[in-house]
Amino acid sequence: MARGGGEEEFYLRYYVGHKGQFGHEFLEFEFRPDGKLRYANNSNYRNDTMIRKEVFVSPTVLREARRIVEQSQVMKEDDRNWPVPDRDGKQELEIVMGNQHISFITSKIGSLINVQSSHDPEGLRIFYYLVQVLNPQTPCRALLF
Amino acid sequence: MAAANAGDVEVVDFDSDDDDLMDDDAPEVNPAPAAPRLRSTIAAGGDSAAARKTKGRGFREEPSSSRPLVGRTDFDSLGSDDGPGPLRSFSVCAAIEGWIILVTGVHEEAQEDDLHNAFREFGQVKNLHLNLDRRTGFVKGYALIEYESFDEAQAAIKAMDGTELVTQIINVDWAFSSGPVMRRNVRRRYVFVDVVKCIRLFICIEFLVRAK
Repeated sequence: MARGGGEEEFYLRYYVGHKGQFGHEFLEFEFRPDGKLRYANNSNYRNDTMIRKEVFVSPTVLREARRIVEQSQVMKEDDRNWPVPDRDGKQELEIVMGNQHISFITSKIGSLINVQSSHDPEGLRIFYYLVQVLNPQTPCRALLF
Repeated sequence: MAAANAGDVEVVDFDSDDDDLMDDDAPEVNPAPAAPRLRSTIAAGGDSAAARKTKGRGFREEPSSSRPLVGRTDFDSLGSDDGPGPLRSFSVCAAIEGWIILVTGVHEEAQEDDLHNAFREFGQVKNLHLNLDRRTGFVKGYALIEYESFDEAQAAIKAMDGTELVTQIINVDWAFSSGPVMRRNVRRRYVFVDVVKCIRLFICIEFLVRAK
């Protein structure tokens, strides 16, 4: 793949969801190395349909996403001591950056209280804030309201 | 079961060619070359110096059904038929009709006013989102700005990219694009356009010459 000199591979995927009364409710987004951003949001609550969108983001956006990931230092963390997924749901974070590939799985995080009371509050806090910043919903919602 | 082997299988399953091939709408979109690179790097295993270091439960578990994006082809592909270039955000969020630019390198103590003052001279700023780091309360380093017209947005990009704002150099670029980050293909497209222009020019010149 032709990229700028010395640029590393970058890929990021985040999933949060659960299966329950209203079916498989989830949110997932994915930044692919070629700049394609895929986003899917599904809820069967009141027969909502799935939203699936994909769009190409500019190289600047990819660079910024990568910078935010680097700054968070999430690549140094490990999900070994994070809560395991449960009936309330699951989160997945998969990132490829250069020669590092992480694939973390944990339960849903309701609030910072869950983070504080976990066995790895530092790591989980990094995960928690990183996801908030990268979620494409955040700027979209802000621009809309 | 060795964790490393399970990890290899897990990653290969995820980055399957099926996923990449199925969402190729436009001919130039071909992330498939990227997939073999990832796979071969990982398939090489621990004996290759270039192999990726893997970490996390995702490599130790069986592939689950929580991969809703994989293999799906029924995505709203926004703007990828139009060729390379900026994409009007109307297609992205139906309620936002304008052109969105991304400003990066924003100083963490910058205020919305600083950005607004700097960018209002290119056109009416319809929307401005300065992302905050919720943990620190400081600016996350990027902002999204929306203009109504392409020209306004492009003028802002040209004028402000690489300039200083609140003591820090900012970069300004489009947020969305119609095509993938494949510079090779972009170059090819430009060459084609140039050739067509040249041919048209030659034809014009030939007519002029013959007319004399």
